[in-house]
Amino acid sequence: MISALYALVAIGFTLIFGVGGVLNLAHGATLTIGAFTAYYATSAMGLGIWLGTLAALVVAGLFSAVLYLGMIRWVQDEPIMVMILTLVASIAIEQYFVVTVGTQPKAIPSLLPGQLTVAGLTVQTNQALTFVLSWLLIGGLLLAVNYTQTGKAILATSMSTKGAALVGIESDRMYLYTWLLAGALAGIAGVFLGSYRTASYTMGRGPLVLSFSIVVLGGIGSIRGSVLGAYLIGFLEVFVVSYVDSSLSGLASLVVLVVVLLVKPEGLFGRELAEA
Amino acid sequence: MLNDGNANSDGGGNGRKLACEQNNDKISEVDSVFDRRRFLQVAGTGVAATSLAGCTGSTKSGEASQQLQGPIKIGVLAPEPGNNPIGASIANSAKLAAKQLNDGGGVLGANVEVSVKDTKEDPATGQRKYQELTVGQQVDLTTGVFTSEVMLNLMSSIAQQRTLHLNTGAASPETSRKVAQDYERFKYYFRTGPVNSHYLGQNMVDFATANFESMGWDSVAVLAEDYTWTEPISEALNGALGEAGIDVPVNKRYASGTENFSPIYDEVANAGVDAAYVVMAHTGTSAVVQWAKQQRPFGFGGIHVPMQLPSYYGSVNGACRYAVTQNSATPNSEITKKTVPYANAYQKAYGKYPVYTGYITFDAVKMYAKAVKQAGSTESDQVVPELENMSYTGTTAEALEYYGKDHRYPHDVKYGKKHAWPVWLQWRKSGESGNQEVIWPENLATEQYQSPPWVN
Repeated sequence: MISALYALVAIGFTLIFGVGGVLNLAHGATLTIGAFTAYYATSAMGLGIWLGTLAALVVAGLFSAVLYLGMIRWVQDEPIMVMILTLVASIAIEQYFVVTVGTQPKAIPSLLPGQLTVAGLTVQTNQALTFVLSWLLIGGLLLAVNYTQTGKAILATSMSTKGAALVGIESDRMYLYTWLLAGALAGIAGVFLGSYRTASYTMGRGPLVLSFSIVVLGGIGSIRGSVLGAYLIGFLEVFVVSYVDSSLSGLASLVVLVVVLLVKPEGLFGRELAEA
Repeated sequence: MLNDGNANSDGGGNGRKLACEQNNDKISEVDSVFDRRRFLQVAGTGVAATSLAGCTGSTKSGEASQQLQGPIKIGVLAPEPGNNPIGASIANSAKLAAKQLNDGGGVLGANVEVSVKDTKEDPATGQRKYQELTVGQQVDLTTGVFTSEVMLNLMSSIAQQRTLHLNTGAASPETSRKVAQDYERFKYYFRTGPVNSHYLGQNMVDFATANFESMGWDSVAVLAEDYTWTEPISEALNGALGEAGIDVPVNKRYASGTENFSPIYDEVANAGVDAAYVVMAHTGTSAVVQWAKQQRPFGFGGIHVPMQLPSYYGSVNGACRYAVTQNSATPNSEITKKTVPYANAYQKAYGKYPVYTGYITFDAVKMYAKAVKQAGSTESDQVVPELENMSYTGTTAEALEYYGKDHRYPHDVKYGKKHAWPVWLQWRKSGESGNQEVIWPENLATEQYQSPPWVN
């Protein structure tokens, strides 16, 4: 169940890396922004959680786009600079939430309250809905990338910037779209995560590390790989926590990360259709 | 090496702190004026008797009265007093106590001044701020401090400065253990509240013994977050619950920073217990929100620090409903005749109700003022014995007293029915918001424990 959400978390991260070759360490912070936007919308402005989710999508997407336009665009060919800038941005955002919201976590209302009983198993309606919506979003993204013109252009850019430029694709604009899309997806993932755990200033850290493990396992830059990676990591985490020890939460994915990097650095699917 | 008290030795030298041989609480206006005149007279004639000068105004009845010159300065160390309710309660309550003292004519004629510094819950910052207060501003008393790590880091400075410190937030017994090890060095440290972690655990056992049967909690899963402050509580709980006839099939110290409680709750639910008996501060909100949202089939209660906040219900959309926590005091519980008036005065002045650190800090400042009056001085060495022998009715206890120097926890506030005796409350829905209803001790109870509707 949680794996679908993990996939949603990781997909934006992999998109940005796959298309722009940029390692976005502020991905977790974007998630946090999404969650707190929903928190503000529901608690301070009294809006419903659905409007809050919409607001989270917009705000996180815009933040991501602004991050790209304001910072990353100028340095995207310098990986070290990119890492430093995105890391600093992410710390700054955490600090912002510490100052404005404080260190205590905040609750975000469930998208759908109540519980469902499916085949003898009782699950939260909210969790089931998150599962369905995550799949819809991932499916929608795959369709959009493969069948719309902009999607194909993004794909082309990810394969070869030069080639894309030759056929008249503005790579800068494609990068911007990618950041916008990745931000919006992270924003929604943040609301989902916040709605059945809580929203706190550190909530983005775990998902960032998870994203790393997922995309490395699946093959950096591959959407298909990310989904599969998410399922493997999700299963592994639930398994370890339930059957080994709950204090090992988060450790399993880190072990996978190290093992994959050492044994099969290209991941399960490798980098699809990339420029040689 | 010890700094031999030069931080305080100026007190006698500049005539600000005057020691008295006899004590007198009742000072009339006339006495005050008389004392000041006499003092000037004595000082003017060049008699070097500063330590007695304030007491020379003995009256025909033989009683002595004394005056302090200059303000009494209190330094307050609070975590983020701007936006953390725990820190705000410490800072505001010290100010409120000072205002009330000043409105009543001050302490021995001297005004009480409060200076607040932010520890940011960081040991290094706390240390720097402590130095600013003691070395820089030469305060007579420091109080506050919430985080045990910050408090522990200040202990050697307190010994060095020989400035009295009344701890009003940190629960680790490590600090009083230092007083036990080297009394002369660390005697300037007291804990006005809360009761130390060992007694917090003892209180959980006492609550369980008195109430679990009627609450239907025959078996519980103990869940404690793995931080320093919970260790003495776990020690106190281990075995003691079993001896009290309570079945504890799950006893877990879960990792610090845990955000996902699903696997832990699965384990608790599978064990078929009646409730989760928790010890939580840092991770408490995630835990209670997930318990409520997932409608887990067991009750939830214990020491849950965030739930002690009077405004908590709104910040978690009512997820704390039916959950139980221990607390030092609530705005409505008449622990003593001072509790409710204080909570209301605080509410009037600052727009909301304080959390437990507020009640304790208020008591600490008032208790200190009484000790200074009795000692006739702000010299720490003279105030310490007054505090050691005092029994004070505060907002948190009928008889606030400190353990003696031979006790296992010297200078810690005494735990017990007449002393510090925490209340237990359950969050209930009231209109659109929630109420902290006291369920124990019985004499303060406003409601009986109610099981969550989703628990059979």
